[in-house]
Amino acid sequence: MERCAVVGIGQTHFKKTRDDVTIAGLIREAVDRALEDAECTIADIDAVVIGKAPDAFEGIIQPELFLADALGAAGKPLLRVHTAGSVGGSTFVVGAHHIITGIHERVLAVAWEKQSEGNAQWGLAGGRSGGIGAGGAFAPWMRAYIHQSGAPEYIGWQVAVKDRLNAVKNPYAHLKIADITIEKVKESPMLWDPIRFLESCPSSDGACAVVLTNEAGGRRAPRPPAWVEALSVRSELAQFPGRNPVKPQAGVDCAHDLYRQAGITDPRSQIDVAELYVPFSWYEPMWLEGHDIAGPGEGWKMVDSGETEITGSFPVNPSGGVLSTNAIGASGMVRFAEAALQVRGQAGEHQVDGARTALAQAYGGAAQYFALGILRAEPT
Amino acid sequence: MPATDIAVIGFAQTPSVRDDARSEVQLLVPTVAEAIEMSGVDRREIGFTCAGSCDYLTGGPFAFVQNLEAAGAWPPIAESHVEADGAWALYEAWVRLQEGDIDTALVFGSGKSSPANPLELWPQQLDPYYLAPLGVDPASLAGIQARALLESGKATERDFAEVVARSRRAARSNPNAQLKGDVDADALLAEPYFSSPLRRHDLPPITDGAAAVVLARGDKARQLCSRPAWIRGLDHRVDPHQPGMRDLTTAPSATLAARKAGYDGGPVDVAELCAVFSPQEIILREAIGLPEATEINPSGGPLAGNPVMAAGLIRIIEAAARIIDGSANRAVAHATGGQLLQQNLVCLLEGE
Amino acid sequence: MTTTSGDKKENLVMEHLVSLTYHEKLTPTLNRFVDELLAGRIVGHRCPSCSRVYVPPKGYCPLCVVATGPENEVQCRDRGIVTGFTIITPVAYYGQKETEPFVYASVLLDDADSPLGGQDIVGIPHEQIRMGMRVRAVWKPEGERTVEGISNRGWGGLGSVVEAFEPTGEPDAAPEEYMEHIF
Repeated sequence: MERCAVVGIGQTHFKKTRDDVTIAGLIREAVDRALEDAECTIADIDAVVIGKAPDAFEGIIQPELFLADALGAAGKPLLRVHTAGSVGGSTFVVGAHHIITGIHERVLAVAWEKQSEGNAQWGLAGGRSGGIGAGGAFAPWMRAYIHQSGAPEYIGWQVAVKDRLNAVKNPYAHLKIADITIEKVKESPMLWDPIRFLESCPSSDGACAVVLTNEAGGRRAPRPPAWVEALSVRSELAQFPGRNPVKPQAGVDCAHDLYRQAGITDPRSQIDVAELYVPFSWYEPMWLEGHDIAGPGEGWKMVDSGETEITGSFPVNPSGGVLSTNAIGASGMVRFAEAALQVRGQAGEHQVDGARTALAQAYGGAAQYFALGILRAEPT
Repeated sequence: MPATDIAVIGFAQTPSVRDDARSEVQLLVPTVAEAIEMSGVDRREIGFTCAGSCDYLTGGPFAFVQNLEAAGAWPPIAESHVEADGAWALYEAWVRLQEGDIDTALVFGSGKSSPANPLELWPQQLDPYYLAPLGVDPASLAGIQARALLESGKATERDFAEVVARSRRAARSNPNAQLKGDVDADALLAEPYFSSPLRRHDLPPITDGAAAVVLARGDKARQLCSRPAWIRGLDHRVDPHQPGMRDLTTAPSATLAARKAGYDGGPVDVAELCAVFSPQEIILREAIGLPEATEINPSGGPLAGNPVMAAGLIRIIEAAARIIDGSANRAVAHATGGQLLQQNLVCLLEGE
Repeated sequence: MTTTSGDKKENLVMEHLVSLTYHEKLTPTLNRFVDELLAGRIVGHRCPSCSRVYVPPKGYCPLCVVATGPENEVQCRDRGIVTGFTIITPVAYYGQKETEPFVYASVLLDDADSPLGGQDIVGIPHEQIRMGMRVRAVWKPEGERTVEGISNRGWGGLGSVVEAFEPTGEPDAAPEEYMEHIF
């Protein structure tokens, strides 16, 4: 099997409405930056793997087909992945499999969403009245987590403040609220009890692309690559008697499979930085526990003690995370791209000092789809 | 160099029908179970699962999530989904199997064309800035393609009718076919035009259906199946989207996919082509380079039953079935995506 | 479909509204469920393999991946436990009719293993709704029952037949009784 290296990373500037570009223009912005980073051209790409969330968000069936021209995919394999909110992560994973198996030498993986071209709330509601939004679906589980763990309510506000301040350091982030305070979060309107407005993700336009290559390509790369150490995906049913939606078994299994492959026995000390899919503040402690980084009831204590701050011992979402930027289909890919930037030492102002091992995580559906990865500064 | 020791060892499909009141997942539950049973694999041992479907067919975002209930996703499974025909799900599973850490994979595809009007639905698959607002529908596009083929001198309207007549006749021996019968080209040519030069029978029927395949690697395939259908090559390619950007009488991406799959125009017993409009069979035959002697679409092909998002996977099933039952030793299966044969997948299958 | 273009901000924005019509039959499983519901009965399917009861019936058990049919039908009492809920502050979008905060609760019927999602709770202020609360169905009078809202996609499981659930006044259920059903 081949090693897989991330040698090019490109993101668009994420905004509520990118009406300065078409969908194709938006995606090209990310793709061109990734190609430039890898110092290659679209002609050097063997295959394109593309992901986005439901087609109904933009109102185009299988939009990659019309995007084939702009992606430079003509004459190449073009594979469309769709695994709900985890799709950006799944797209990275599928792209990497093409390298690891030796089928291709250089793959472009790209994920996007241009939510301003449609209405995601309408889409999430299936076009019907009484839509509950993603927040409505997840609120009961967040409440159950608070109930089970005994976490104080300010934990959610702390996560929101941290991620919003981190986003100020990220040139591509959508929401930048430099004067954010606990008070402001606390006083923002309640959307879905226990989630307040400033504890929720925005709706963004944007794309993220990576150039993946094999070991020889990684060693030739103009800039330090990020090495893909381990990948794992798991899915489980949305609803069934006996399900624990607060800590889904698929998330636990996925993490353990990942740690096993990477030789990680103590994720909390062996991982230097994590980019987790946190669309609502409470999901930071929930995933710390959900992926067995923290023990039961310990996740919120990591938040409380400042461990997940950019300067803490286990920084989470130095990019500002999904709370600051959420072009749904792209969000999972951004987690992998940001994790790769960290181990490449190229995260700029939001660089975590000495990051050598990074965890990338995406989840989707009713917290039922998971795509996880470990990226490292050196191949092992 | 991709592996050549991955095989189809189990499969199943629903009968193609105009309107099946069951939901996609209800179509899938017995189909997946039947494919797994045929393979002899223990469901809980399956290493990877991949599904193909299209949300817009049901009109609900995340429609595919419900289909996971047919996959046996408890305890949790390693799984993925493509917004495409199940043939592309098979491709993703074939890639995943080559990592060597798992031996088996489950693939399925499903779609119901009955709830929406396809001529109203599929324009939304076109370029949203330049084509979709015009409301160009698949039958009109296929009519333009057929016209180009006539003008090029590569085919006549009688050739289209012959494709349909042969498809309907072949479908008589296919229990899953929707349209079958002994029809001749003269009778078909007497029918009125639908989107000139195409007649109604040059178009695929509206079909609901689902299909599932079990893949296995190396010794596992040999243990479970006395004559596995080995995938000797598999590749897919895409062409530019804008119809004005390409010669509609050719399918360069089908040619490329065939060559990359290792098929160079040599002898093949059977070819199952996902030609959803009759002229496309003529285009594909040339693009892939199939010899005269090759039997095309012994199942009747998509003109005899076209469950969108499963139709391509069914081509692989029909080709594999003929390898497994020993009636063929080398077969080509083809799947397509988008309009006007924009995206094409070619799978080369062989017996031992 | 209408296509118009106009100057919005500094960029040209094309408005392209698409209307697609779907005619979807209720599955045979739901058809039977609806007939019973209109007659005032809630039925589910008991999995022949694991004995779990699904309401509304799915026609299969997703855990055992075995088909179920009329032979597996069981009738359920119209009372149960609130296993989870949230109060939704509605956002505006095309087709949204809700304007005021509304309840979105999961109710596990006493004889069922799968909760009914998206139920309204009446007869109690929003802030007093709680997990574990025992509730019973509020049926519409027979002449006013419609199947509106019942679909193959699982939205609004009881349509416009059971309009909501209301507290029975009995003591709340212990968490063990519903913790496995907090969807």
